[in-house]
Amino acid sequence: MKLGKLTALMAGALLVLPCLPSLALDGVVIVNDGVATANLDANALKDIYTGKTMYWPGGQAITIVVAGDKADAALEAASGMNASAFKTHWQRLAFSGRGQQPKRADDVAAALAAVAASKGAIAIVPAGTEPAGVKKLDVN
Amino acid sequence: MKQIKTITMAGAALAASTAAHAWELDLGNNQKIDFHGFASQGFIASTDYNYLGKSTDGSFQFTEAGINASYSPFNRTRITVQGFAFDTGKIGNMEPFLDYASIEYTFNDYVGIRAGRVRKPGGIYNHIQDLDLARTAILLPQGVYDARWRDFSTSIDGGVLFGTIPLGKGGSLSYELFAGLVTLSDDGGVAHWIVDNSNNKFAGFGQPVSVGGQLWWNTPIEGLRAGAYTGYMDDFTFNLITPVSPVGPFGPINAYAAADAHVLLQQYSLEYTWKKWTFQAEYFTYEYSGNNTINVLSGTTPIQPTSVSPSTTQPDAWYAGAAYRFNDWFEVGSYYTEHYADVHQRSGSPNASQKDLALSFRFDPKPWWILKLEGHYIRGTSLLEDTANNPQADRDGRGWFLFAAKTTFSF
Repeated sequence: MKLGKLTALMAGALLVLPCLPSLALDGVVIVNDGVATANLDANALKDIYTGKTMYWPGGQAITIVVAGDKADAALEAASGMNASAFKTHWQRLAFSGRGQQPKRADDVAAALAAVAASKGAIAIVPAGTEPAGVKKLDVN
Repeated sequence: MKQIKTITMAGAALAASTAAHAWELDLGNNQKIDFHGFASQGFIASTDYNYLGKSTDGSFQFTEAGINASYSPFNRTRITVQGFAFDTGKIGNMEPFLDYASIEYTFNDYVGIRAGRVRKPGGIYNHIQDLDLARTAILLPQGVYDARWRDFSTSIDGGVLFGTIPLGKGGSLSYELFAGLVTLSDDGGVAHWIVDNSNNKFAGFGQPVSVGGQLWWNTPIEGLRAGAYTGYMDDFTFNLITPVSPVGPFGPINAYAAADAHVLLQQYSLEYTWKKWTFQAEYFTYEYSGNNTINVLSGTTPIQPTSVSPSTTQPDAWYAGAAYRFNDWFEVGSYYTEHYADVHQRSGSPNASQKDLALSFRFDPKPWWILKLEGHYIRGTSLLEDTANNPQADRDGRGWFLFAAKTTFSF
């Protein structure tokens, strides 16, 4: 295949593919108490979950905590990736020296504990979870 | 083989014991060092030709293992280190080396800098071409990501400038600009390729300078990105010695060849992830251009005038593929790829091209354990690079099959 044909194929794909709406976030975003940020918009949250933003405005490193598989749908809404694609994405970053892999908690309680114990930590937990010991972030 | 088994078993034990959780070294005051690692063991078997090892007999010389550490000592600062070892046929031999070791400072989302030994960007997979767990296929399209050429393609001693620039409704633009020195192994894939099918002895590389950049346009369409990469390698030099005669007027006669060239690389990529689908297509080419200088000596005395001749070559390759993830533990993928040894001569001998249709099955029985099975139907032999085990005279252009299996443990 010549480069011209491949370029045309790529351009065609860009024109034909539909714009897909983002999923609604069906979960609660929690952060460590030391995080000064009080709210985020959906794009800023996505930038965190895709690794484009790795530090809070004050410079503290962001540590993502994944709450088992209890908030997969919300994780997908936040990152634009399903759970396996999210895992692969971060493995790619971490094993090439470009990012720090999210920490995986076994369940929601463990995720809450991990966020409470780690400076700069963030997690998405199922809606209705009582954010004990951590701070809830409003997502606009 | 014993070494491979040891590494794989150690990887399995490590992964199982940590159950996919990273190791953490707590330094106190909320300072922690994170450790992650992986170990992969593969098997390759093929009909007709030996590829990536003695594959017609079935080869287990298909192994990778790495361990890395990451630490943020200050705000906006991160230190990462990774040790790595691999074995792909004759290349690698599980000799451990420093894959990367860098310090990174991120000023903001728009710009950051990483310095030290760093991984080079290059399309979808160059950063992670030896990371089996980060893809569906066992073998990446080899015309684009040659598993034997990692010393040429993966790391530099220098720096990377990186960041993401928002484009409003147009999505965003991510970039990585790099510059540094490349350390090529005298026993690496490029060295083996240079002396393949000759009685030349390899006598060392220079240390080329490599500069370039990768741009990714993250389009406003969720999951769709388009990339362009270009790299330039200057002072790509190496030396060869060819024995001519054991007897000469002033001693044994040898021809000493010195190559001095530059290499221009280009790669264009498109990736789209939609629901459980991933679609990818890439085109890659490089243009090698330089001069070969040959001196023929008897002992240390020149016996012929120095000859200088130009040398150019431009291969290219492309692939298109798709993968579908059925559930947490099962994924299927397929790609078709073509490689041409010379873009100006796309037809001719079986050595001129290699076309490969691959079908891959990936199983994730545990978060820390992956199994893969893969079949290839291949026509052409332009990527064999192993004439000793594949005599040119035997290559008749017939189609051939390759089967690969691989398991990876990670934590």
